[in-house]
Amino acid sequence: MNEEYLWDKSGEPDPEIAQLEEILGTLKYKPRPLDLSDQVKPASRNRYLPLLAIAAALVIALVVGLIWLRTTSTKDDHQQITHVERPTVPSNPPSSEVARQDNEQKAAGPVNETKSSVVARNTRRLRSPKVIAPSKEALEAKEQLMTALRLASEKLSLAQKKTQGPATPNQIRNQHKIG
Amino acid sequence: MKSLFHYMPRTPLLVALLVIIPGLTAQAQDPKIQLSQLDHLAARANETVDVNVDERLIQLAAKMFNEKDEDEARIKKLVIGMKGIYVRSFEFDNDNEYSSADLETIRAQLRGPGWTRMVNVTSKREGNVEVYVSMSGSEINGVTVLCAEQRELTVVNIIGPVDLEKLAHLEGNLGIPDLGIRSTKKPKDEQ
Repeated sequence: MNEEYLWDKSGEPDPEIAQLEEILGTLKYKPRPLDLSDQVKPASRNRYLPLLAIAAALVIALVVGLIWLRTTSTKDDHQQITHVERPTVPSNPPSSEVARQDNEQKAAGPVNETKSSVVARNTRRLRSPKVIAPSKEALEAKEQLMTALRLASEKLSLAQKKTQGPATPNQIRNQHKIG
Repeated sequence: MKSLFHYMPRTPLLVALLVIIPGLTAQAQDPKIQLSQLDHLAARANETVDVNVDERLIQLAAKMFNEKDEDEARIKKLVIGMKGIYVRSFEFDNDNEYSSADLETIRAQLRGPGWTRMVNVTSKREGNVEVYVSMSGSEINGVTVLCAEQRELTVVNIIGPVDLEKLAHLEGNLGIPDLGIRSTKKPKDEQ
């Protein structure tokens, strides 16, 4: 076997290697322009897909938010409405009855004073009513309003006095009809 | 298509009229008058009262009234429907500090549609008092009182339904300090 041909194709070719070259030569690189048009197609993308996705996300967020709000408000209402009942105790049970009950309780051992199944407990902390302090704006508005009313009342009263002398009831009301 | 083109130029005009006419009508019926023309008198006045209380402030102030107090409950009932109270009052040290043109700026607005002069008292010695009402149907929806004395000029503009009788009878029951603008005239014996 001529190893020189195997390394740098110099010398006499070995028939076995030549045969292999002939067989594998069909697979060797052949320079040609790249053509992907038939083999690879770009994936067709919908232009509106991102917009649709955003819109769908917004709608879903809105629906979830509404459901959450409704659920929360319903829970609040339910909590507020829950009526806390306490076991009713007869106001003045007969002394013999009380003594009998005491004996029964002592015999049965320590028992909770109230059965938890009977009492509905409001586990949520009830909101204390907010005490709204009068704002400075409201006080100023009231002051201005009083000043304006005082002036208006004073001038109307003056007009009334000047037109018809001593004030009598329904004078101005009668003037409405004329106007 | 011919009819469409025939009506096309008229359509914007029609739309414009539909938008403008109700706006003008609403403006004509608005009982709020402009008092800012009198603001220049403040420089000459010894004392000025300038009150601008719109509907929001009236509602805010109405919450401050104690309904357990008889007087305050009455005032609250009176003001609860009002949409605004605007006052300009000027007290001067000398006579004739304001001109008839100043009064005319107010009177001109009160000659507009909707306003009726209900009371007009003219006195050379004591001054003029005019009461104007703006009616909406059979109900009062605005009142303006123009009181022009020798050393005092007061304009009160109330917007909204007003019970004039109750308002006039509030005098002396409001429990607010005297502002010293009641009257600038002195009795004859003091003069």
